[in-house]
Amino acid sequence: MIVNESVLSLGISLLALFIAGLLATKINQSLTAVFIVVGMILQNFFPVTIITEFIATLGIIFMLFMFGLEFSVGSLVNNQRKIFYSGIYDLLFNFPLGLFLGWLLGYDFIHALLLAGIIYVTSSVIVAKSIIDLKRSANPETEYILNVLIFEDMFIASFLAFIVGITNYGHIDAKGTFLVILKTSAFFAFFIVLAKTSKKFINKIIDIEHTELFVILILSIIVLSAGAASYIGLSEAIGAFLAGLLLSETKQRHRISEAIKPFQQFSTAIFFVAFGMSIDYKHLGGMVPMGIFIFIVTSFSKVYGGYFIGRKYALSKRAGLRLGLSLIPRGEFSIILAGAVSMSASTPYSIKSLTGVYVLLSAIIGSIVMKESDWFIKRLIERKAPKTLQTKNP
Amino acid sequence: MSAIKECDLPGIGKKFTLELDSGDKLVVVIHFSGEREVFKFTKDNDEPSSVTTLTDEEAHQIGAILSGTYFQPVMEDEQKLMMKNVTMEWIKITDDSSLANKKLEELNIRKITGVSITTIIRGETVIPNPRSSEVLQPQDTVIIIGNNEQIKNFISAFEIKQRLEK
Repeated sequence: MIVNESVLSLGISLLALFIAGLLATKINQSLTAVFIVVGMILQNFFPVTIITEFIATLGIIFMLFMFGLEFSVGSLVNNQRKIFYSGIYDLLFNFPLGLFLGWLLGYDFIHALLLAGIIYVTSSVIVAKSIIDLKRSANPETEYILNVLIFEDMFIASFLAFIVGITNYGHIDAKGTFLVILKTSAFFAFFIVLAKTSKKFINKIIDIEHTELFVILILSIIVLSAGAASYIGLSEAIGAFLAGLLLSETKQRHRISEAIKPFQQFSTAIFFVAFGMSIDYKHLGGMVPMGIFIFIVTSFSKVYGGYFIGRKYALSKRAGLRLGLSLIPRGEFSIILAGAVSMSASTPYSIKSLTGVYVLLSAIIGSIVMKESDWFIKRLIERKAPKTLQTKNP
Repeated sequence: MSAIKECDLPGIGKKFTLELDSGDKLVVVIHFSGEREVFKFTKDNDEPSSVTTLTDEEAHQIGAILSGTYFQPVMEDEQKLMMKNVTMEWIKITDDSSLANKKLEELNIRKITGVSITTIIRGETVIPNPRSSEVLQPQDTVIIIGNNEQIKNFISAFEIKQRLEK
């Protein structure tokens, strides 16, 4: 009867997601945070079943595939200088800080690295949606925000491949690092070469009119790439991401996106629920103060880093501050990182719960901060302005 | 006129910035969804003072108005519809025609057939909207207008043999 019960619990989860999601959209909150909370509540009623876990795995794969599919290679190439420099500043401000915090918490090097990745990556889903909702797409800071996000996503995709590879290897040493980087680069290179050389060929095979066969073919490409990556000891997610990149340059891109989106939305929601369900309340008590501490520290570094980038590119102080204030929400990638590695046995429990607390805080508060950025601008910039005027005048 | 600045917004769409002579800036963002947003930034302000959201279709209409090529698409359709039913014919009045050497008022063409004579072409002269006292002469060309049925009536009533190509 396991199957019956797990199907029932899946149904209950979905209904709960719908109701919670409906409430969340009413108050303009991010769905990611709400789905995790739903999972945390549901764990009291039934455990994570095999079915949920399976769908959650597909959730990561589809999410990364959609990332790849919607990843704008064109703008990456067109604006590479700007993207590179804004991205590097953001990386320098946040990634080493994460390593330091990991060391402070007493993690080993792999887990400190993991934590650095988790706190470094801003949620492009939450931020991009907020930018559109708040009608800020034409603001001067917006293109810099998006440049930072595109760099982060690219960086974290490679980082994910590396960190999963190194965890599968077991420990960090020179040989392991070299092997994993070699494998990762070879895997990336394979897809890049495939994308460059076989464009016509790929266009031809996926040009299938039959809707059902089309979906099956695309699914097979996604799952095969994910499986191949997993087979050679990398993360399935990175295989799916590269499959997405590969198909993003085809004529059928829009059709693929339409076909896969329902699968992705369904399985990603279940992924967040499963993640929420795996956060243990007993451990959470001790996690909350630590989560709040990390949240505050890393929010400052994000905001200051963003402000720094803004000033570097001659934005006004106000726009620069808005740029920084827009980078606080963390979301899907942080959870994928925490989830992807904790599937291997060697991860201490704490990093998952910590990420849960951290993502909840930053997604919810980060969205509010973005919306209320005028309040911060008034406090931080316009209050100072008269003072500087006074000192200049005499 | 200043140049339009173009900029990619990865994940959102494309941004076009036009700096106006007044110093204000007009920014158009075309979303991947096809939606357009038009922002106005007043001078030295980095937050928009107004935002307008347009659908793809609305944007096309506004664009046509702004570029001065706008015409009511509905009107055009109506005209086409009208032209489907209404035909103009060029009719040569032969020497032996029953129409020749008669005043328009005696012929009573509109009453009998429904067709109107809009123009008479006589050698080099063109008589638009001829009076009812006008006398049709042999070798005149008349331009008549009416629907298909009315034209048929006209042709059979006056035994027209020579219709000209337009």
